[in-house]
Amino acid sequence: MVRVADHSAPAAGADGIARTPTGRLAIAARIATRSAAVVLLLVAWEIFARSGKVTPFMLPPFSAVVVRIYTDAITGVLWINLGLTLYRALAGFLIAAVAGIALGAAMSRLRPVRWFFDPIVSVGFPMPKIAFLPIVMLWLGVYDVSKIAMVVFDAIFPVVTATIAGLQAVDKELLWSARNMGAGERELMWQIALPAALPQILTGLQVALPIALIVAVIAEMAMGGYGLGGAMMGASRFADSRGVFAGIVEIAIVGYALIKGLAFIRARLLAWHQEAEERS
Amino acid sequence: MDDQAQIVIDGVTHTYRPAHGRAVLALSDVSLEVRAREFLALLGPSGCGKSTLLYLVGGFLPTEVGRILVEGRPVSAPGPDRGIVFQHFALFPWKTVRANVLYGLERQPLSRPEREQRAQAFIDLVGLGGFEESYPSQLSGGMRQRTALARTLAFDPSILLMDEPFGALDAQTRALMQTELLGIWRRTPKTVIFVTHDVQEAVYLADRVAVMSTRPGRIKTIVDTRFGDRNPSILRSKQFVEKVDEIWDLVRVEAIKAQEDTAP
Amino acid sequence: MTRAALRYLPLLILAVAWEAAARLNIVSALALPPLSHVAAAWVDLVRDGDLIDNGLTSLYRLIAGFLLAVGVGGALGLAMASWRWLDAALRPLVELFYPLPKSALIPVTVLWLGFGDGSKILLIFLGCMIPVTIGAYNGARGSDHVLVWSARSMGAGRVRLLWDVVMPSALPELLNGVRTALALSFILLVSSELISSQRGFGYLIGYLGDNGSYAGMFAVVLTVAFLGFAADRLYQILMRWFLRWCE
Repeated sequence: MVRVADHSAPAAGADGIARTPTGRLAIAARIATRSAAVVLLLVAWEIFARSGKVTPFMLPPFSAVVVRIYTDAITGVLWINLGLTLYRALAGFLIAAVAGIALGAAMSRLRPVRWFFDPIVSVGFPMPKIAFLPIVMLWLGVYDVSKIAMVVFDAIFPVVTATIAGLQAVDKELLWSARNMGAGERELMWQIALPAALPQILTGLQVALPIALIVAVIAEMAMGGYGLGGAMMGASRFADSRGVFAGIVEIAIVGYALIKGLAFIRARLLAWHQEAEERS
Repeated sequence: MDDQAQIVIDGVTHTYRPAHGRAVLALSDVSLEVRAREFLALLGPSGCGKSTLLYLVGGFLPTEVGRILVEGRPVSAPGPDRGIVFQHFALFPWKTVRANVLYGLERQPLSRPEREQRAQAFIDLVGLGGFEESYPSQLSGGMRQRTALARTLAFDPSILLMDEPFGALDAQTRALMQTELLGIWRRTPKTVIFVTHDVQEAVYLADRVAVMSTRPGRIKTIVDTRFGDRNPSILRSKQFVEKVDEIWDLVRVEAIKAQEDTAP
Repeated sequence: MTRAALRYLPLLILAVAWEAAARLNIVSALALPPLSHVAAAWVDLVRDGDLIDNGLTSLYRLIAGFLLAVGVGGALGLAMASWRWLDAALRPLVELFYPLPKSALIPVTVLWLGFGDGSKILLIFLGCMIPVTIGAYNGARGSDHVLVWSARSMGAGRVRLLWDVVMPSALPELLNGVRTALALSFILLVSSELISSQRGFGYLIGYLGDNGSYAGMFAVVLTVAFLGFAADRLYQILMRWFLRWCE
């Protein structure tokens, strides 16, 4: 019969390097070494930029970039750009999350749904969907709707495949014992299967979130206008290298904050899971 | 039998320092001599440092206090004179049975056909003929351990270090492998140090059983367990059962102590 | 055969629905040219040489950036796993750059190297290197110490150990990192060409769209999508062959 295809995703290593030592002391030590490394990098940047080996156009000093970010913050441009980019990325991400989990659940429960979407998902996932950007622009214009649609289109695939994989891996004995205790189909899905699949679903979301941000920025760069990506592209066109580097720093901070935020939510939601105990 | 001690362990103390957490005194003033072609079992509850002692003899861990001599020379690094067999086989999962067995022979002064021949001989010896091209993931636990055994025997170490080699196998396979190991040992006599926490296994296989005490590990007593003829029927003899009981009493005290130690 | 046909039937249904929707004017043919027109436009583009020329440019950028990323990134990951001082020095930097949304690098590479091949190659190299490094690093760090001991007891030296044990142990995670990098390389290639280029697939897509030849635009978009998909499938086949020893 119809078999669920190999959906294994080109997943960004959501955990990987992050999984090492335990204990408050070790965590504190890690934070210390990491911030030391960040400071060192910034100092090196500053020194190198001022050494005269590169023109300020190629690499403006970090201090100049900070001044630029500060100015933008005071005039309010920064907050408009930041807010718009966050709104587009997160709106797209949330739609992709809800729709992706729903589609994944439907695909793993209902044969016809699976039959129809399975080849679409397995062909669509590895495609560089960003190539469809001009088509989406053609259909939906150059405003928020098309940008958000592009984000959804790109971010939904890892959520769908992670949901299917998670639901498939749910322990049969767990489902049988719930059914044995009289749980109905609906209860089984909401109270047993989805919570049991939650770790994998969250991993899918952790893959989807950086994608959402990447795509939002690209869409802004391609379409211009406000937003961190648009501002960066504008700066690049006018050879305003401080603006470009300010954009990188801002986007890096946003990316870092979003990833950490989702990791925090994961830890909260999975307090019952053994990975939470391994950490504490 | 040669009465000269082939392995001398003299006053060895070892402290285990994990990357995070407190240092643990694993071995305290352990002395032991093993004669050539003797089969010695190291017996004790888990966590008594018996594997640590084995790794020290293997040269995988540095000897910090005391000394370990093999053939009169102090141990400094691992070498092909001491073959090791691990509980979880340590086969290279990306190599076939044949390639695994050949790996140990690559650095021996042998021609290629000689190596091939020797590898085949040992694969046949452990009864894996026909599985030469299988990957470890395609084999059962017993077959994996046979492969590991063949790999180690093939480069002909004079000493065989076995770290709970049958601990990961089911009861039937385990009994089978024990008998087979004795058969192989009889045909190609080697000095064996066999780490186990199974009293019956120790008594059945070994000439002498060194009973270790728990944390810090010490040699508590050494019991002579040489019987006339080792075959599975011996397992039901009165003499054997009494020996097992005697040693079990020694170990039980340590096992209870070990449990109290690890309890929070 | 029939099973495969049944499996991919939904894609055929989509294609037929597309053609029908455009032909019956359910959707404006401007917004959605019929699939048959797209196919015709594709043939034209191949004949003119436009698709081939721009395609070769894109492939050159992609392959150069990708190979650089795999070579440098893989070596860096293995080196970090082997030498503690290197690990201490570079790991915080890797962790710092890992969450950076790679698309932010597009304007910088343009700033540094302009609109040509160099900026695309640099972008793909920088963007794809980190996942490979992390894959190699985690894989090599995860190699079983018992395997290392076994090899040493059979007389393997330091270099042999790296080659015989650490490399193969790292392979599954390394190859996964490379797969992520492959997907990323297509995204970065196409988006950077869409945004700032005078050649390549992305440029051609934008050019055809601006001129209103939407059938041609659809043709190039589908070509790129297919190439990305095919590259991933091909890579998976290779990966399975490399990892045929895995359980």
